[in-house]
Amino acid sequence: MEEREKKLPLEGLRIVDISNIFSLPYASALLADLGAEVIKIEGPGRIDLTRQGGLSGAYPDNQPGDDPWNRMSTFNLLNRGKKDLTLDLSRPEGREVLKDLIKISDVLMENFTPRVMRNWKLDYPNAKKLNDDLIMVSNSGYGQEGPYSQYPAQATTQEATHGLADATGYEGGAPSKAGQSFVDFLATWALVMGTALALRYRRRFGKGLWVDVGMYQLGCAMVSERILDHEANGRRSERIGNRHPWLAPQGCYRCAGEDQWCVLSVRDEEEWKALCREIGRPELESDERFLSNEARIAHHDEIDAVIGAWTARQDKFAVMERLQAAGVPAGAVFDARDLNLDPHLRSRGFLETLDFPPERGIGKRQIIGRPWRLGKTPLRARGPAPTLGQNNRAILEGLLGYSRVRVEELEEAKIIATEPTKARPVVHLEMDEHVRQGRLSYWDPDFKAHLDSEE
Amino acid sequence: MFPSALDDIKVLDLSRGIAGPLCARLLGDFGADVIKVEPREGECGRRMPPFFGTEPDPEKSLFFLLANLNKRGVTLDLETPQGAALLRALARKVDVVVESFPPGYLASQGLDLASLERENPGLIMTSITPFGQTGPKSHYNGNEIVAYATSGIMHISGTADREPLKHGGFPAQYEAGMNGMLATLMALLVRDETGEGQAVDVSVQEVAASTLVINQPYYSWSGGVQNRRRSEGSLFGQVTPCKDGFFVCQEGGGASWDELADFFGREELKEERFADPAQRALNGEALDEILLAATCERSMAEMFETACGKYRMLFGIVQTPADLARCRQLEARKFYEEVDHPVIGRIRVPFRLFNMTAGGAQCRRPSPLLGQHNDEVYGGVLGLLEKERAELRGRGVI
Repeated sequence: MEEREKKLPLEGLRIVDISNIFSLPYASALLADLGAEVIKIEGPGRIDLTRQGGLSGAYPDNQPGDDPWNRMSTFNLLNRGKKDLTLDLSRPEGREVLKDLIKISDVLMENFTPRVMRNWKLDYPNAKKLNDDLIMVSNSGYGQEGPYSQYPAQATTQEATHGLADATGYEGGAPSKAGQSFVDFLATWALVMGTALALRYRRRFGKGLWVDVGMYQLGCAMVSERILDHEANGRRSERIGNRHPWLAPQGCYRCAGEDQWCVLSVRDEEEWKALCREIGRPELESDERFLSNEARIAHHDEIDAVIGAWTARQDKFAVMERLQAAGVPAGAVFDARDLNLDPHLRSRGFLETLDFPPERGIGKRQIIGRPWRLGKTPLRARGPAPTLGQNNRAILEGLLGYSRVRVEELEEAKIIATEPTKARPVVHLEMDEHVRQGRLSYWDPDFKAHLDSEE
Repeated sequence: MFPSALDDIKVLDLSRGIAGPLCARLLGDFGADVIKVEPREGECGRRMPPFFGTEPDPEKSLFFLLANLNKRGVTLDLETPQGAALLRALARKVDVVVESFPPGYLASQGLDLASLERENPGLIMTSITPFGQTGPKSHYNGNEIVAYATSGIMHISGTADREPLKHGGFPAQYEAGMNGMLATLMALLVRDETGEGQAVDVSVQEVAASTLVINQPYYSWSGGVQNRRRSEGSLFGQVTPCKDGFFVCQEGGGASWDELADFFGREELKEERFADPAQRALNGEALDEILLAATCERSMAEMFETACGKYRMLFGIVQTPADLARCRQLEARKFYEEVDHPVIGRIRVPFRLFNMTAGGAQCRRPSPLLGQHNDEVYGGVLGLLEKERAELRGRGVI
């Protein structure tokens, strides 16, 4: 237990977090891992979208149970270690409670469209009146000002607008969506960064500030080199599928088995020679079609045919291991099963296990931890995600000192609740049906045994 | 100068390529004094396209410019005893070292954290590598596509009838730079209180895998393994052609389906057969026909403004770098900064990742030329005399 005695970087910090879906909930989960007390606020009629909609997450063992809104996979990953308070912010009584919380907190986080907090007079200038050195962190689609600021936004439409779709796609084909809410996670990293900067700023200069993350701008930053090429040279690069913009060969090659693939990438002459030897074609080292990087770019299709013929007969992991041993960058294309069972990621503590209390009926489940280690500050998710309204009483009575009578009045008025007053109908399909509809590649009935045995 | 969160912090950047240099640059954006240390021939980032103009030139890599703003630059041969001694002297003067060598390399030169912190107990060393510092794959070679493959992203990108597809460009490297920066901030917050430094270990594979918050737990909750999307089915929600490009439209935002029908100007979209997602999937071909006919004469710009501004729809258009270069929203957000580069000249660079009411990112200097600040740093920071510097130059150490 020695590691628990280490002080966590954000211990003693209280965050009020009115956030929904992916980007900001994920950021505040990481801040909770780092030691902050995070109070998540959800409306009884506006619960976090990741609690519902059975198609963007899974129920434990595909069983919705009596309280499906507490059981969804992605919600539980993104809200680990938080407290939960339901509060109907559309009514003034709910906003009064929020104001009381702001007064005793360090950080206020929210991801509404910019007009919402303004309309409630809870935007930064107003929130600051309640708590002078408050740090406020806002996450919106396009940022708090500018001609697009009030446009509704979601990662799936933004990734076209912020330039990623133009860069992504099969060679010669149409632009392609990334399709996994990519820009949301850019926002997650920016939100954690901005919060940490604000904390250090406040620590040094005694003043709070407002961090304003617009996802569009972040997405654009990730294609900066393409923008610069245009600015400087007026050039526009084509979509090139899996090829490298200036090195060859690079690609994704079919391996033995169904839908199994491996990538490789050659950066210099030494790696090219190693590849030729490893695939049993040493004569290609001196083949004049492939003698330089430029020559290999010109004859890429021919090289792909040779590599593809070699990989097609082999297991993708064997290809990765052989090429890596020879010094060639290579990687098996992991599916979700490979990712969950990867010995490397598990040994590093990247994947960790949440242990839910028995009454939740969820058991032990593996989740993504964090993509960094601090040598002297061991970090872990500090507990499972809360059930809806799990901490209503503890927060209102314990933290804010409300009387029991007042809390009961709030319950009576449905300002607070422990069950949603509005929720989407549960979509429940058998696992085989998900596969049949093409939403899943396959499902692994022995997944629990695999997860246990590899641990 | 406005106060910045990190204007009391000094950073030594030994890293190469994109992720490490970007991490160090971001520390510089928020006030840190960053010295970049390169081998005499320049780090590999100087050889990365795109270049300013058509010819490769170590002073004209635009990628290098981008990843190394806000730094001074020196050259140093770490593999000579004198070079290693100079590095140790520099490391005594800084708070953070950023590096991206293969795990074990710095230890082999006696320059790892354990060696350096003996003379500088509060030192933080941030390492950004393809697979991290520990574990059975830590010695693996990696780059962008390898991170995309081994993170699981590629398996669900592209279409089910074809090979997995990497996203274009280098997003995993950018993201790893951001994660290196934020994890370094956490180590700094710890050090502010305890005075202790520590190692920060960032894995690019893990950064990319961290975005799989639907895919990863889907398996550990239910055994389900997600797929690339099928190539058939309706275009609705996918990239769809219009008069001068492509758009993507989704249900949701502040608009009802009937309002979408009004936006597209097609009453028949209000019919029962398109009323919900299941119905629309069933009648995908008919839906596509209507959408394509409704948009073939409409431009991206007009549709984007009308859909988002008037109808409050979730609507995106496929913008090119040229579109982003003249975007009014990015201008309003002060996304771009102009820098004066001694060789490239005056150029506008994408710069500001997000905005703050105080202590926000500041662009203070362009990327350094190779060895540009040798005299300033070895003279001014380490106090070496001109004679000593000349000797080091003579021996090829700097």
